[in-house]
Amino acid sequence: MEHKDKQHAFQLGVSIFIVLAFLTAPEFLLAVNFPSVPLLVLIALAKAALIGYYYMHIYRLKQAEEGEDRASYAYKTGTARLGLWLFLLSDSFVFGGLLVTRFSLLAMNRPELNQALGLAVTSVLLISSFFMNRAETAMQHGDRKNFLSGTLVTIVLGVAFLLGVVGVEWRTAPFGPGDGAQGAVFYMMTGMHAFHVLTGVLFLLVIFRNGLRNRYTVEKHWAVEAAAVYWHFVDVVWVFFYPALYLIGSVL
Amino acid sequence: MKKILSIGLVRGLVFQMIGTLIGALLVTAVRAAMGLSAFSARTFGFTEPAWVFGGFVGVLAFVYGTRVLDDWIAWARGEDTPEHREDEPGWRKYFSPSLDHKVIGIQYTVTSLLLLSVGGLFALIFRTELAASGLQFLSLKMYNTLMSLHGIIMIVSILLGIAGVMNYLVPLMIGAPDMAFPRLNAFSFWVAPPAAVLLLSSLALGGFDTGWTGYPPLSARAPLGMQMFFLGVWVAGWSSILGALNLIATVLRMRAKGMTAFRMPIFVWAAVATSLIALTATQLIGLSFQLVMFQRLFGMGFFDPAKGGNPILFQHLFWFYSHPAVYVFVLPGLGLISELLPVFVRKPLFGYRWVAMSSLGIALVGFLVWAHHMFTSGMNEYLRVPFMYSTLLVAVPTGVKFFSWVATLWEGKIELPTPMLFTLGAIVAFLMGGLSGPPNAIVATDLHLHDTYFIVGHFHDTMFGGYIFPFFAAIYYWFPKATGRRLNEKLGKWHFWLMTPSFLVLTMGMMRIGLLGMRRRIADYDPALGFDLTHTVLTVAAFLIAISVLIFFYNIYITLRKGEVVTGNVWNSRSPEWQVPSPMPAHNYDRPIEVVGEPYDYSLPDAPYVRFAE
Amino acid sequence: MRHVVIVALFVLTMTFLVYTGLNALNPLPTQAATQAVVVDRMFHLEFIAIAFLFSLITVPLVYSLIVFRRRPGDTGVGRHIEGNIKLELLWTIIPLITVIAFSYMGAQALGDTLRVDPQALQVKVTGFQWAWRFEYPDYGITSNALYLPVNRQVLLRLESPDVIHSFWVPEFRVKQDVVPGRETQLRITPTTIGEYTVRCAELCGVSHAYMRSPVVVVSQEDFDAWVAEKQEESTEATGPDAGRGQKLYETLGCKACHSVDGSEGVGPTWKGLFGSEVELDDGSVVVADEAFLAESIREPGAAIVAGFAEGTMPSYALEESQIADLIAFIESLK
Ligand code: HEA
Ligand code: HEA
Ligand code: HEC
Ligand code: CUA
Ligand SMILES: [Cu+2]
Repeated sequence: MEHKDKQHAFQLGVSIFIVLAFLTAPEFLLAVNFPSVPLLVLIALAKAALIGYYYMHIYRLKQAEEGEDRASYAYKTGTARLGLWLFLLSDSFVFGGLLVTRFSLLAMNRPELNQALGLAVTSVLLISSFFMNRAETAMQHGDRKNFLSGTLVTIVLGVAFLLGVVGVEWRTAPFGPGDGAQGAVFYMMTGMHAFHVLTGVLFLLVIFRNGLRNRYTVEKHWAVEAAAVYWHFVDVVWVFFYPALYLIGSVL
Repeated sequence: MKKILSIGLVRGLVFQMIGTLIGALLVTAVRAAMGLSAFSARTFGFTEPAWVFGGFVGVLAFVYGTRVLDDWIAWARGEDTPEHREDEPGWRKYFSPSLDHKVIGIQYTVTSLLLLSVGGLFALIFRTELAASGLQFLSLKMYNTLMSLHGIIMIVSILLGIAGVMNYLVPLMIGAPDMAFPRLNAFSFWVAPPAAVLLLSSLALGGFDTGWTGYPPLSARAPLGMQMFFLGVWVAGWSSILGALNLIATVLRMRAKGMTAFRMPIFVWAAVATSLIALTATQLIGLSFQLVMFQRLFGMGFFDPAKGGNPILFQHLFWFYSHPAVYVFVLPGLGLISELLPVFVRKPLFGYRWVAMSSLGIALVGFLVWAHHMFTSGMNEYLRVPFMYSTLLVAVPTGVKFFSWVATLWEGKIELPTPMLFTLGAIVAFLMGGLSGPPNAIVATDLHLHDTYFIVGHFHDTMFGGYIFPFFAAIYYWFPKATGRRLNEKLGKWHFWLMTPSFLVLTMGMMRIGLLGMRRRIADYDPALGFDLTHTVLTVAAFLIAISVLIFFYNIYITLRKGEVVTGNVWNSRSPEWQVPSPMPAHNYDRPIEVVGEPYDYSLPDAPYVRFAE
Repeated sequence: MRHVVIVALFVLTMTFLVYTGLNALNPLPTQAATQAVVVDRMFHLEFIAIAFLFSLITVPLVYSLIVFRRRPGDTGVGRHIEGNIKLELLWTIIPLITVIAFSYMGAQALGDTLRVDPQALQVKVTGFQWAWRFEYPDYGITSNALYLPVNRQVLLRLESPDVIHSFWVPEFRVKQDVVPGRETQLRITPTTIGEYTVRCAELCGVSHAYMRSPVVVVSQEDFDAWVAEKQEESTEATGPDAGRGQKLYETLGCKACHSVDGSEGVGPTWKGLFGSEVELDDGSVVVADEAFLAESIREPGAAIVAGFAEGTMPSYALEESQIADLIAFIESLK
C-alpha cells in the first residue's frame, strides 16, 4: 500500500469519529427540545453512512492489493474479510428484527430512562470506536506501541459501556423486564447489544494478548482488522438503538 | 472404551450430557443462593431456566467435545495450526470432525436421511392414529407432540440434506479444492447433531403442542418440551446460517479459471440463491423463538396481550424467515432438476441464463410475501391485497423453470435410468404443489383453505416433490462419485414406482378432504364428515412410501457391500467432477481445471467444457 | 410443427378432462352463505387455470417421454437448442399477466366477502380453550350454540381470553382467527336453513380437535321464538342445577381432562371430589368445598393439585351461575 493512502485512511478515520462524537451532542439536545422523528432518523443515517463509508474505504484499499495467488495470505484475508462482512449482514437482521419489535410494540413512545446516562454511554462507545480505529491504523504502520495502547483504551471504554448499561441502567431503570412491553423491549435490545459488546471485548482481549506477544506484523494482522470491523459494527448498531430507546417519541 | 471415546460423535454426546447437567446445576445453585425455588417436580426436577441454560451449555459442550473448536482455540492463543488435516482412514472419519468438504457433505447427507426416517416414523405413528376417527392409541397431547416434531424434524432434515448436497457438489462443480472456510464448515455440521438431540429431548420433557410454527400465546404456556424445541431450532439455525455464509464465500472466491458466472453449472446458481436467503432470513426465526423463550423465562411480555404485547408480531417475525425458508428447501431441488435433465436428454438446458435468473428472482420475491400465511390472522386488513399480488408473482419465475424443463425434454434423446425417473417425478409432484399454491395465495379462497388439509397437501407436494424427489435423484446420480459403486437399478426402480403413486395418492387425498372441511393438526375428526375411508387410504399410502424408503436403504446397504464397481464417467456427464476417476481423491483435482466451454452442450459431442492444466 | 399441433390438441382435451373430473368429484362442501358463493366462483376460475396449467406441463412431458425416448441402439444426441428469447419472454409475460388478473379478481372477491350491511345482527363470540360462547347483546342472551336467522347478515365480534383460535364453518367458507387482546370481526350472511358446526381452525392446545359448537340457521320466526325461549330461561335460572352443570361439563370441554367415573385423565377426576381432602403441590391439604372448587375453576393457577402440572387447566371466562351449576354437578358425583 502506498504510504500516502495509509495516511489518508488514518486521517479519514480520525475525522469521521470526531464528527460522530460531536453529532451525538446536538442530536441529544435536539431530541430533548424538539422530538422530530425524521430529523433524528436522518442524523442516525448520516452517522451510519459515515462509518459505512469508512468501512468501504478500507475494504477497497485491501482488495486492490490482493493479487491472484490463491495460496497467498492476502488472498485468504480477502476471503475471510468477505466472510466477516457476510456475517455482519446476517447479524444485522437480528438487530433489524429488534427494531421492528420496538416500533411495533411501543410505536411513538419510549421508555423512561436516565438521559444523562444514555448520553454518557453513547459517547463512550463512539469514542471507543475512535481508539479502535487508531489501534488498527497503528498496526498497519507497524506501530505496536500505539496499537496496544489503542486497543487497551478501547477495551476499557467497552467495559465502561457495559458497566453503564448493565451495571447502572439496568439497576436504576424504573421497570423490570417483566413490566409491560417497554420492559421487554428495553431489556431485550440492550441485552442483545451488550452481549455483542461483550463478545467484542473478549475478541479485543485476544488480540491484545497476541499483540503483547508480538504475533502481528504489518502484512499479517487480519485478526486485528476483524476485531476492529466487528467493534465498529457493534457501534453502528448502537447508533440506531440509542435514538430508538432514548430519543424518539414521548416518554411512556 | 478409550477407542470409543476417540470418536468425535461419541465424545460430543458424552460432553453434551455432562454439559447439560453442569449448566442446570449452575442455575440451580444460583437460584438457591437467591432464595428462589431450586427444584420443581412439574418440570422434571430442575426448574425451567435450569433446563434451558443446561441445554445451551450442553450444545457448547458437545461442540467442544468433538474438538472442532481446537484450531480456533489455538489461533486465539496465537498458535499456528496446519492448513490441512489428514482424516482417519475408513469409515471412522465420518464420525469425527473432518475438514474435507466431501466428508462433511456425506456426514450431512447421512444425518439428514436419519432424521428423515425419524420424522417419517413419527408420521407413520400419527397417521395410524388418523386411519379412523376416534382416539385409538395416542393421547391428544402425544399426537400434537408427534405431529409438531414430525414437521420440524422433517424441516431440519431438509436443511441438512441440502447442506449435504451443496457441500459435496459446489466445490467440485466450480473446481475448488475445498470450501472457503473448512473449519467453519466442520463447525456448521457439528452443531446440528446436538440440535437434533435437543429437538428429540422435547419428547421426554413433556412434549409440546403448538405445531412447528410455535405461535404464542399457546407456546408461552406449553410444557417444558417447548423450550427444547425453541432452543433446538435456534441452534440448527446457526448451522444453516454459517453453512450459507461459507457457500457464498466459496462461490465468490474459489471458482476455477474461466468459470464465469454464466458458465457455472446451474446448481451453483441455485445454491447461491438459497444461501442468500438462509444467511439473512434465518436470524428472524432465531430471534422470534428467542423472544418467546425469554417471555417464558423472565416474564417479558413481547407477545402477551395482558402486558401490552402483540401475538401477531410473532407471526410476522416468524414468517419473515419461514416463508423464504420454503424456497431454501426447494431451490436446490429445482437446481438439481435443471442439472440432471440435460444429461439424460443429451441436449442443452433450455434458456440457461433465464433459468439462473429465475432462481434469484424466486429468492428475492420470496422475501416480500411472508404475510400470505396470515390472511386470516387479524393483521391489518388492507395488507392482504398487496401480499396476494407479491405471492402470485413468485409463480412467474417458477413457471420459467417448468417451461424450460419441458423445452429441454423436447426433441431430446431421453433415457430413463433411476436418477432421471426421480427427476421427472420431482417435476410432476412439484407441479402439483406449485399449482396448489395460488389458491392459497388468493385471499378469498385462502379464507376457506387456511389451516386445512389442503394446505397440508400443498406443502407435502412442494417439499416432497421439490426436495425429497430431487434429493433421491441426486443420491442415485452421485453415489458412484462418492463411493465408486453404482446403486442397484432394479431396486431403484422399485423404490420409484412404489413411492411415486403412493405419494400422489397421499397428497391428492389430503387436498380433497381439506377442501371438504378437514382441519389440520387434529388427532380426531368428526365421523359425520365421512372422511374415515379417505384417511385409511392415506395411511396405507404413507406405509407404502415408508416401504419404498426401506427398499432404498436396503439398496444402499447391499451396494456398499457388493454393488457394481464403477470408476468412470457413469452418466457420460460434462461436469468437471466426472472427468476424474471415482471416488474423488482427498483434495479434489490434482491438476487445476480451466473452463473453456459451455456447461450443457450435450448435443455437441466435441465441444469441451473443462480442461485440465498440464 | 406436427408435434406441436398434436400436443396442443392433447392439452386442450386434457384440460377439459381434468376440469370435468374435478367438478365430478364435488370438491367443495355445500354453499350456505352469500360469501360462499363469491368464494366458490373464485375457486372455479382457479380450477380451470389449474387444469390448464397442469395439462400444459404434463402433456408435453409425457409426449416427449414417448416420442423422443431414445430407441435401443440409438447413440445420437438431441437437437442443439440453447434457448429462444421470444419463447422465454412469452412464458414470462403471459403468466405475469395471468397472475395480475387473478390478483385483481381475488381482491374483488375479497371485497365482496367483506361487504357491510348496516342492519347486521351483532353477536359477540368468545372462543376459549376449548369451546365457544355466543352473546347476543341486542337480546341480552348467551348461548352455547350459534343461532342465526336466515338471509340476514351477522357481524361476529370475536374475542379470546387465552390463546389464538379460529372461527370456521366450512359451509360459509370464510374464516377468521380469534386473537387474545383484540377484537376481530367476521361477516356472514347465511342463505340456507340447516345445522352446521363451527370448528376451531387454529391449533389451540390439547383439545383443539374437539373445539366445535353447533351453528343453527333458522327462519326469522324460529329465531325470534328461540330468542324468547332463551330470555325466559335466563330469568328462570335460579339456583344451581346439576343437570345444567353436566351439560356445561360436556360442552365446555371439562370432559377432555376430568373424568366422572374415577378413571385417570389429564386433570383430577371429579368422582368423589366434593368434600374430599385434596393435597396441593406445596404440601398443604385443603377440603374441596364450594369455595375451593369455585376458586379452582375461576383461577386454575391459584392452587395446584399435587401431581398435576400448573398451566394445564385453562381459565374459562365463566359466569358465576355457570360455576355454581358445575359445582352442583361435581357435588352430585359422590
Ligand atoms: C418447498 C416448499 C414450498 C414451496 C416451493 C411453496 C410454494 C408456494 N406456496 Fe406454499 N407453503 C409451504 C411450502 C412451500 N410453498 C409450506 C410448508 C406451507 C405451510 C406452512 C404451515 O402453515 O405449516 C405453505 C403454505 C402456503 C400458504 C399459506 C396457506 C395458509 O396457511 O393459509 C400460501 C398462501 O399463499 C402458499 C403459497 C405458495 C405459492 C403461491 C407458492 C409458489 O411458489 C408456487 C409457484 C409455482 C407454480 C404456480 C407452478 C408452476 C408455474 C407455472 C406452470 C407457471 C404458470 C402459473 C401461473 C400463471 C399461476 N403456501
Ligand atoms: C420434507 C418434509 C416432510 C415430509 C417428507 C413429510 C412426510 C410425510 N408427512 Fe408430513 N409434514 C411436514 C413435513 C413433511 N412431511 C410438515 C412441515 C408438517 C406440518 C406440521 C405442523 O402442522 O406443525 C407435516 C404435517 C403432516 C400431516 C398433518 C398433521 C396434522 O396436521 O395433524 C400429515 C398427516 O397425514 C403428514 C403426513 C406425512 C406422511 C404420511 C409422510 C410420509 O411421506 C412419510 C414417509 C415415511 C418415511 C419417509 C420414513 C421411512 C423410513 C422408515 C419407515 C424407517 C424407519 C426406521 C428407523 C427410524 C430405523 N405430515
Ligand atoms: C386441559 C385439561 C383440563 C380441562 C379442559 C379442565 N381442567 Fe380442571 N384441572 C385440570 C388439571 C391438570 C387440574 C389440576 C391442577 C390444578 O389444580 O390446576 C385441574 C383442577 C381442577 C379443579 C380442582 C380439582 C381438585 O381435584 O381439587 C376443578 C374444580 C376443575 N379443575 C374444574 C374444571 C372445570 C369446571 C372445567 C371445565 C369448565 C375444567 N376443570 C376443565 C385440567 C383441566
Ligand atoms: Cu381453539 Cu383450536
Ligand atoms: Cu409461504
